[in-house]
Amino acid sequence: MFEVRGPEGSGTGPTLTPRIPQRHVTGPEEEGTTPKTPCQTRSTEEEAVPAVRANHLYKVFGKRAPQAVELLSDGRHRDEIKELNVTAAVIDVSFEVQPGEIFVVMGLSGSGKSTLIRMLNGLLPPTSGTVEIDGTDITALSRRARRALRGEKISMVFQHFALFPHRTVLENAAYGLEVRGVPRAQRHERAAHALDLVGLGDWKSHLPQQLSGGMQQRVGLARALSADTDIILMDEAFSALDPLIRRDMQTQLIQLQAELGKTIVFITHDLNEAMRLGDRICVLRDGRVIQIGTPEEILNHPADDYVARFTEDVDRSRVLTAASVMEPAPKADSADWDDWERVEPDAPVAELFQRAAACDNPLAVVDEEDRVIGAVSPSTILSALAMPEEQENGVVPAPVRGERREEVRQ
Amino acid sequence: MSWLFPFPPRLPLGEGFEALNEWLKEHFGGLFDAIGATIDWSVTTLRDFLTEPQAAQLTAIAAAVLVAVLVRARPIPVLVIAGTAVALYVGQAAFALGDTLVNHSPPQLFLWAMHLFGQDGVESNLVIGIVALAALVVVAAVHRIRLPLVAAVAGGWLVTILCGWLLFDAVPGVIGQPTATLVMLLLSALAWAVAGWKLGVFSLVALTVVISIGQWNNAMSTLSLVLVASLIAVIIAIPIGVLAAYSTVVSRVVKPVLDLMQTMPAFVYLIPAIFFFSLGAVPGVVATVIFAMPPGVRLTELGIRQIDKEIVEAGEAFGAPPAKILTGIQLPLALSTIMAGVNQVIMLGLSMVVIAGMVGAGGLGNQVYQGISRNDGALGFEGGIAVVILAIFLDRLTAAVTRRSPQARAEQAAAA
Repeated sequence: MFEVRGPEGSGTGPTLTPRIPQRHVTGPEEEGTTPKTPCQTRSTEEEAVPAVRANHLYKVFGKRAPQAVELLSDGRHRDEIKELNVTAAVIDVSFEVQPGEIFVVMGLSGSGKSTLIRMLNGLLPPTSGTVEIDGTDITALSRRARRALRGEKISMVFQHFALFPHRTVLENAAYGLEVRGVPRAQRHERAAHALDLVGLGDWKSHLPQQLSGGMQQRVGLARALSADTDIILMDEAFSALDPLIRRDMQTQLIQLQAELGKTIVFITHDLNEAMRLGDRICVLRDGRVIQIGTPEEILNHPADDYVARFTEDVDRSRVLTAASVMEPAPKADSADWDDWERVEPDAPVAELFQRAAACDNPLAVVDEEDRVIGAVSPSTILSALAMPEEQENGVVPAPVRGERREEVRQ
Repeated sequence: MSWLFPFPPRLPLGEGFEALNEWLKEHFGGLFDAIGATIDWSVTTLRDFLTEPQAAQLTAIAAAVLVAVLVRARPIPVLVIAGTAVALYVGQAAFALGDTLVNHSPPQLFLWAMHLFGQDGVESNLVIGIVALAALVVVAAVHRIRLPLVAAVAGGWLVTILCGWLLFDAVPGVIGQPTATLVMLLLSALAWAVAGWKLGVFSLVALTVVISIGQWNNAMSTLSLVLVASLIAVIIAIPIGVLAAYSTVVSRVVKPVLDLMQTMPAFVYLIPAIFFFSLGAVPGVVATVIFAMPPGVRLTELGIRQIDKEIVEAGEAFGAPPAKILTGIQLPLALSTIMAGVNQVIMLGLSMVVIAGMVGAGGLGNQVYQGISRNDGALGFEGGIAVVILAIFLDRLTAAVTRRSPQARAEQAAAA
């Protein structure tokens, strides 16, 4: 994919682009093992193959797309290439999704997230760059092979449900299996099981339009689940639902994911939803990746003002956990620890308010073997809940290695 | 360059068209003859059936309906029966195989029926049909598949045959035109089954009017011409519409051609149609096909294009190949729009019958044309009224089929 970039001598081109994934991918566990350039796609056999890997993906609509990719790879904003009369939807996006992870892509409308998700399962061919599913480069496959891979490995849930109105709920849920040629009785049995999982066991013979919006999206989810793929792509799956139903669906999705261990790529424009669902979040703006990180990283170390403005609306007490706000435990009076109330590292801060206020000592954050790994006092909580720009350096210990991203554009 | 002046030179457009036609006829004459023969055979057979239905034909139709009903549930026995029956029909047509078989069977099998219905011979095609029908009913009964529907079809067949026998032989002199009455009853029953009792009653009354003004045979002749022309038009139009929906290039090319086909005065089609197919029903059918096809193409394209893009994407996202997306998602969801196109095709076809009557296609068009040329207002009006009745009958019938499309049923379910 490097041949589409400008000639080697053209200024910043060759040096800038490969650095971008380094600065962006700040996930705690895979840092260091992440391949730094897309050229080394298979060189890191020692680590688990990522379920989904995007390598410098570009999607530019228009006749002069290759030229546009060349210009955009130098770090130009898409508004600067207006004269080419192209639409740059996705620009130089790279990330990896580990098996069993919920990876959320967040961005406002027009940030290219829907285009991005359609490149992940090959519905749209990228203008440049590659997509790997379990180590297979789907951009290099034939159409037929890509269809087969899609049927076996990736299913999708749509914003407006996209159920087939002329099929019953059960037939809708069985569609993925039907495409793969599973016999009727067997696929109906598995579809019925998927419908039971989402709580629609009694609605099998109804038509989709007889169901409410939330129920329809459950059918969409059951259709994706029954296809029995490891990866599920969800394109703003809950955005068309009422807030209360959306919350129910989010809870259900988290439960299902914990039960079934699917890899989920979730697209949303709602940062609260992203924070609630995501193991990691990728923030897109104008087609480019602004930041990739865990919810805590995004909240505590927003890459730029754009991300920071988003985080203002987030209920920080539900995202931050005891482990992410705790201070190092005072080492001196270790005998007193027995009196301290113990909390688990992943307890949300919202659940600590009452307990922190009730006792005089700070709360002890303990790991599974009851070792104290940190302390949380009311003042720790208060300062953690403050916006990052209000925090003074050092008040909140950086729990993770988030890095502030330098501005590419001026 | 001198031929350019005086400036707008005479462009030999019409002559070019003539030359093209002659070239086509010279090089592809055999093809046109074959097309003409096929169309002629279809129209004649359908007309004969509608004016004088044979018991064997009715039996074959009933058997075909049963095959369609049962083939999904038990494909193997049903297809074996259907294949055997078709082979026997072909054998009978080719070298009187059925007659040989009947002659070598014990005569007791047939004698009682010959006595009962007062016949002096055995019709092999009828025997083949009855045997196939009986076998299919047995298959359905043994496997208990859709018994009410099977019973309705088989019972309907029996009632029709008995009705025909009653009308002809048991109560002579009461019914003036027994065959016409029988077909009228069948068409009304079809309307009742497809569109409900209201259209059934309408058909009963309106078609009786057609019989009583003495236009029944002409009306059936026109009906067969329109049905054959519409069928050909739809068979050509739907694939073109699908291609146009898939490809913007095809759509852009097809659109002006359709405009031309629709706006060219219909009489103009008759000239090359006669040139290729001589006089008779065939040029009428060909001209009707060309004139009536555009809405079929347009509405097929529209129906497929207006399907929610996300739904098609959902099919792709689960790995469905294009053919499965077309037949499993796009065509079912576009069906109500496509059927609206089919309805338009039939209506335009009916509007062509008078013009087709001018080239000897016969039927009601011929009556109206005679009314004009003889200044016979009564004849013209009666022919015209019969056309109107046919139009209403066909329009309501296709509209009812549209209402029963999967998409329409889904919408009704949502409203309920």
